[in-house]
Amino acid sequence: MTQAEFLNPVDWELIVSQVDADFGNGVTRRLSEGLTPVKVPRRSIFSVYLVPEEWVQYIRGEMEDFRLSSLGVWMGDLSSDTFRLSIAIVERLANISENELVVADTGAQAFTYGRSILRESVVSISPESLRRGQRVIVKSEEGDCLGLAALSVDASRIDRLSSDKLVAKNLVDVGWYLRRLG
Amino acid sequence: MSRREVRQRAKELAAKYGYLAYMIERYLVLWGEEETIQFLEACEKTPRTSIRVNTLKADEQSTVRRLEEKGVLLEPIEGVPSGYWADFGDRTPGSLLEYMLGLYYIQSMPSMVVTLMLDPQPDEIVMDMAAAPGGKTTHIAQLMENRGLVIAVEQDRLRIASLESNVYRCGVSCAMVFRGDARKISQMGIAPDRILLDAPCSGEGLLPVDPTRKTSKSMADIRFCATREDELLDAAVRVLKPGGVLVYSTCSIAPEEGEYIVDEVIRRHPDITVVPPDVSLGVEGYTAPYGVEMNPSLRHARRFLPHVHGTEGFFICKLQKEGDDQ
Ligand SMILES: C[S@@+](CC[C@H](N)C(=O)[O-])C[C@H]1O[C@@H](n2cnc3c(N)ncnc32)[C@H](O)[C@@H]1O
Repeated sequence: MTQAEFLNPVDWELIVSQVDADFGNGVTRRLSEGLTPVKVPRRSIFSVYLVPEEWVQYIRGEMEDFRLSSLGVWMGDLSSDTFRLSIAIVERLANISENELVVADTGAQAFTYGRSILRESVVSISPESLRRGQRVIVKSEEGDCLGLAALSVDASRIDRLSSDKLVAKNLVDVGWYLRRLG
Repeated sequence: MSRREVRQRAKELAAKYGYLAYMIERYLVLWGEEETIQFLEACEKTPRTSIRVNTLKADEQSTVRRLEEKGVLLEPIEGVPSGYWADFGDRTPGSLLEYMLGLYYIQSMPSMVVTLMLDPQPDEIVMDMAAAPGGKTTHIAQLMENRGLVIAVEQDRLRIASLESNVYRCGVSCAMVFRGDARKISQMGIAPDRILLDAPCSGEGLLPVDPTRKTSKSMADIRFCATREDELLDAAVRVLKPGGVLVYSTCSIAPEEGEYIVDEVIRRHPDITVVPPDVSLGVEGYTAPYGVEMNPSLRHARRFLPHVHGTEGFFICKLQKEGDDQ
């Protein structure tokens, strides 16, 4: 209905190239299988959602007094040249991608408070080919998806770091839900 | 009791329990003295915490096991699937990792019963007309197994943020969230299979959890809420699909916001009737509150009362529109 639009192919290509570069070729396609990407304008960015094709009829109409705020699965936010995956998509992503960094309990808790990950709390990181700057899914030892982080070092070099060194920068974590509640 | 006696006694009880006298006057006329005192006493006690395990995120047993391993004491709520009485000990119920992961929602027992009475089914179109912070929206999606469409409407921009946070946290993927005044929903051009109107109310049922309510609202506030509830319910009745189900609820014990509203709306719309719910929790709705005769079908409404159920107060009524319900 009002204020939601279909994503144009240029925007979608940008998303695909960024997400696939981090998580592997074909990951975005699998993430969005059977769903249509739509965007909802925010102040200076667009939020991108994945919705069933049948919902198209509801997105097209015009309504004076209602503003569509969100719909379906929140995939992430798009600014002019960057796409940031949302916390709401991380579990789906984890079903498809193998990039993961497992943290021990104390690190896990700190991560949900928005902190980044130090060498001392890293249990494992895989695959070893992950490069500095690449995004990884952060998991607890129990396998819970805690969020996303960007590696500060190549995965292959992590063993050379001392325990207090930064391994990955927090991009988004499940504590967001509480912080958003205020 | 004569009017004068009611007034006098209300004054005394109001002073003793810290209420505005007009409230107690109404309780005395509605319930008599003994039950009024039981009510006032019950409102001094905080209700037990309860949670709904979110089966959209994990299977129920594994979540129960995880919480129990963390020392949370859980007891299934009879008649409420996925509902548990929960004792978190020293911990804040919303601070656990399991909460952030969306494995449960902290929700009062009557709130869970509201959605059970709505009984949403997978693949339906269901509208939640006053949705934030999303306790019932997320429960609806859970019962629909994330299939179909939940249209969640909320007027307040700040409350939309908490609604969306809960929708995302609980892994709801079948919802569209709209900001706007639900009194205008006919503009959407949608005829939902089911509608929930968990109306904005005076909160007179929340006395056990919010002592400030003892003095914060006047009779004029209740009337203001009642007018808005009437307009919202009217709008719901108009857009509901023929044969469709509508649940009207408020966290108020005031008949002025419960039975009175429904009685008026079914009088205006002969195609809508109060129907018996499949749920037997709570007690019957009132058919002659304050001696005012209501449609007898209002006994099918359900009421939760602090002094009877140990919960917050709630009014829930299931309605159905005439027509082909296929
Ligand atoms: C009782 S609360 C709803 C609680 C919610 N159903 C839940 O279970 O979490 C009522 C909500 O209605 C919203 N509201 C008030 N007037 C409204 C209107 N005209 N249209 C839509 N929402 C409205 C309020 O901002 C409030 O969030």
